Amino acid sequence: MSRRFTPKVVTANALLEGDVVYLTADDRWTRNHAEAELIEDEAHAQIRLIDADGRSAEVVGAYLAEARPGPDGPRPVHFREVARTAGPSNHSAGRA
Amino acid sequence: MYGYSEFDTAFVRERAAQFRAQVERRISGALTEDEFRPLRLMNGLYLQLHAYMLRVAIPYGTLSSAQMRQLAHIAERWDRGYGHFTTRQNIQFNWPKLRDVPDIQDALADVGMHTIQTSGNTIRNVTADHFAGAAADEIADPRPYAELLRQWSTDHPEFQFLPRKFKIGVTGAPSDRAVIRSHDIGLQVVRGPDGGLGFRVLVGGGLGRTPMIAQEIRAFLPEADLLPYCEAIVSVYNQLGRRDNKFKARIKITVHEHGLEAIREKVEARFAQVRTEFGGADRALLAAIRAQFARPALPARPVAPFEAARRADPVFRAWADTNLAPHAVPGYAIATVSLKAHGATPGDAGAAQMRVLADVADAYSQSELRISHEQNVILPHVHRADLPALHAALKAAGLATANVGLISDIIACPGMDYCALATARSIPVAQAIATRFEELKLEHEIGPLKIKISGCINACGHHHVGHIGILGLDRAGVENYQITLGGDGSEDAVIGGRTGPGFAHDRILPAVEKVVRTYLGLRAGPEETFLQTFRRVGMAPFKAALYPAEDKARAA
Amino acid sequence: MRPDPAVPARGAVPAGSTARRAAELNARYRHHGATAVLERAMGDAQVGRIALVSSFGAESVVLLHMLSVLDRAAPVLFIDTAMLFAETLDYQRAVAAWLGLTNVQVLRPDPAVLHARDPYGALRLTDPDACCALRKTAPLHAALRPYDAWITGRKRFQGGQRIALDFFEDEGGVRLKVNPLAHWTRADVRDYMVNNRLPRHPLVAQGYPSIGCKPCTGKVGAGEDARAGRWRGRAKVECGIHLARPAAPDIPQTGDDTMPETDLTPASAPVIVTDDGFAADDWTGPVGAPDAPDADAVALPPDADPEALRARLDTLRLIVVEFPGFADGRGFTIARRLRLMGYAGRLRARGHVIADQYTMARRVGFDEVEISAELAARQPAQDWRRRAGWQAHDYQSRLRA
Repeated sequence: MSRRFTPKVVTANALLEGDVVYLTADDRWTRNHAEAELIEDEAHAQIRLIDADGRSAEVVGAYLAEARPGPDGPRPVHFREVARTAGPSNHSAGRA
Repeated sequence: MYGYSEFDTAFVRERAAQFRAQVERRISGALTEDEFRPLRLMNGLYLQLHAYMLRVAIPYGTLSSAQMRQLAHIAERWDRGYGHFTTRQNIQFNWPKLRDVPDIQDALADVGMHTIQTSGNTIRNVTADHFAGAAADEIADPRPYAELLRQWSTDHPEFQFLPRKFKIGVTGAPSDRAVIRSHDIGLQVVRGPDGGLGFRVLVGGGLGRTPMIAQEIRAFLPEADLLPYCEAIVSVYNQLGRRDNKFKARIKITVHEHGLEAIREKVEARFAQVRTEFGGADRALLAAIRAQFARPALPARPVAPFEAARRADPVFRAWADTNLAPHAVPGYAIATVSLKAHGATPGDAGAAQMRVLADVADAYSQSELRISHEQNVILPHVHRADLPALHAALKAAGLATANVGLISDIIACPGMDYCALATARSIPVAQAIATRFEELKLEHEIGPLKIKISGCINACGHHHVGHIGILGLDRAGVENYQITLGGDGSEDAVIGGRTGPGFAHDRILPAVEKVVRTYLGLRAGPEETFLQTFRRVGMAPFKAALYPAEDKARAA
Repeated sequence: MRPDPAVPARGAVPAGSTARRAAELNARYRHHGATAVLERAMGDAQVGRIALVSSFGAESVVLLHMLSVLDRAAPVLFIDTAMLFAETLDYQRAVAAWLGLTNVQVLRPDPAVLHARDPYGALRLTDPDACCALRKTAPLHAALRPYDAWITGRKRFQGGQRIALDFFEDEGGVRLKVNPLAHWTRADVRDYMVNNRLPRHPLVAQGYPSIGCKPCTGKVGAGEDARAGRWRGRAKVECGIHLARPAAPDIPQTGDDTMPETDLTPASAPVIVTDDGFAADDWTGPVGAPDAPDADAVALPPDADPEALRARLDTLRLIVVEFPGFADGRGFTIARRLRLMGYAGRLRARGHVIADQYTMARRVGFDEVEISAELAARQPAQDWRRRAGWQAHDYQSRLRA
């Protein structure tokens, strides 16, 4: 591997609610990005993704998303993942 | 308007029951997610960025006040109190839970609505001119045809697993308000050589990453042959369309690769075969449907109150000047309610606003509403004498924005605020542009100008046919926006041309402002619209304004 | 399908020991390419009677395609261990139909032996070698008895015991093994598939670059060897059919050279779905390629033009339309067109069709659907029966009168 592995988290949407969820080190699904397991090793990331894929009764569309360590736990890197964590920018708009 | 027959009602109830069972089978594991996905999609259920999204069809954009009230009820009971009207005459609810969806479908069935085929690789919700049945320039109301097509395409056994989605648009007027040239099949009602009604049939239009304007496959198709001819087109496409590459799977590519002549030949051959199956039941049904679309009685009354209010109230006058369109019946008008309040999310309506719209439809518009592809709500049959009262009611609900067709009447897809496919946000860009030009108080001086924003290459915001089109992309992890100019979705359909390199998120608003100021500086007079000026002067002066350094470099 | 014991009799039994013949053949064909080796092997008297053994796995389609170009009637042996992925069974039928192969013989373990040795399908957990021997090696060696040679798709780049592979191998002095792709690289395989537009095994896209039986095949991570998913966590690297000596089958076979159709184990037999629910297949005759001239039953791949059958519609008794994946709806149009052309015989949809599509299948004119045992287990008869009332709530019947 010539390219250095960048840390990742496993993320998906909850099957019943559709909510954005992240896989924790103790195999729970959390709504809180900071609680996600930050995976620093590529092989381990693949294994965690396979684990997540196997939990199709709980989540849909698991994938690895880039993340970096933060003071309170992992934080998203790409603006798409920031948006998934934060919710829509017009969240309050249109809500009668 | 059309009211569901017993058959229709039984059908949508059965379909909701089927979906309820499918949801349970997904949860139990009998259906894999791969198998469930197309099933939920053909029932309008997406999984978006933050949540599920349920897309409800508003066939040919026509909605009764009772249906609008039910949408408000659904928004409050199962969602977060609002809905989003789309560019294809649908409404989307952004936060339903999986197990609630069948309940929502039941609630829709109660008022003769459904979510069927609002997604998936199948024939989608059939759209039509939002002024249908009211427009002064109409040859015939296109909605009876659209309803016939809705019934024919619903659950059509041959066409539930097409190579890609398939969109049909119908217009009954020479002025194309339904953008039929960007549909897979575009139908324009025309009179034939013998004076009978029929269609000019266009095929192979579409936006997306390879925008194409539809071509004429039949100059005149008699009305009676509508279903077999459409069936022949879709059937040929189902076998011929590419399935190896989803970006080349739309019929526009099939037509492009095989050539219009070859496709026409195959369609005509299939048509000859298929036609034998349609023995007249379809025509009888069309006649019955048409009777239901008869225009309501619109009695003549004095219009003096309208004239008086127009003279007395400048706010009403501004609204009346931008938001009204001519009605076929003297004394009446078509009123557009803008869902583009400056700074709001284009196309969003809260439950309370939906109820106000239902109430004013009952009071002033024969209980009828329309949804336009421009994401506005239309009251199709308002007597001019009622307009001041209508305006007052709308104003009280924050629905009296006088900007229809102006720069802040922006079409925007949900973009990365909601959509899983998006590469950038659209809504904040629309909000920023509308807010800025409101501050400048320039909007009415600028005049007709359509800005359309898509948050990805799939072009749900129709940016290709915006006078100013904006396409949001992901450039190395940063939102970047490309500008196209000169696009036009009307009967003169034109795909806009790119100005050049894109602009970062914080540079797109100044860039749009530069384009508009360049237009204001170049126009021959206040009567010359942005599009007319662009067609006269071309791209160069706009490029020069947007990329001054480059211009100097070239000159040196 | 009852395997047609159509063993081609190409000349007499070749002379000389297999080891000697292998060496001579390797010398003779040293500078030949894969296609040439395959072509010569199929005609060379020193090779003798020959069959292709194919797993219809991730890369099998390459050899199958080469074979189909040379001789579509050549025997192809496929081992259904009763533990394969449903996708493999669907893919096997789709590819066979696609390539027009007319002599694919499906080998199955003897049901009586299976019942005695592995009644619960759990042998793989305690002794995977014994499981392979029971389900793969034994049926294959029984089926290979009439042949002098067999063709495999093994390649050197697959590594392990395959790195020194030659075109021709002596298999324990009993028969020859021919490996036309021995010297191919992974890129050669990929290019051949792309250039010939060959259909890929559906599991490849899901992360299975090497595909065997379902319980013993896992996904492979990025950077792993393609066969890393096979018998993951065990030292085992080969199933046994390619081990140097063909172990004298230590498992008694009650059947003869081939497995009779009626002895199908219920767990693996495909299921026919009609309005009445599930049933076994009652069609016992062969099903030919679309251009097989005398067949009264043909299978159509999804890209077939039904117009080609127009002249024969009166003589055909069964037309099978293949569905390689449930999202590929071409078969619905094919069925509709066949009915519009006047075909009145039996019409079957076969492959990955799900219960939710039964209504559509019936409405376009199919009489029945053939699905794999795996799909039937996951979507039991009640799921399908729910759609048996396909005539109700039908817009088309209101419009077409």
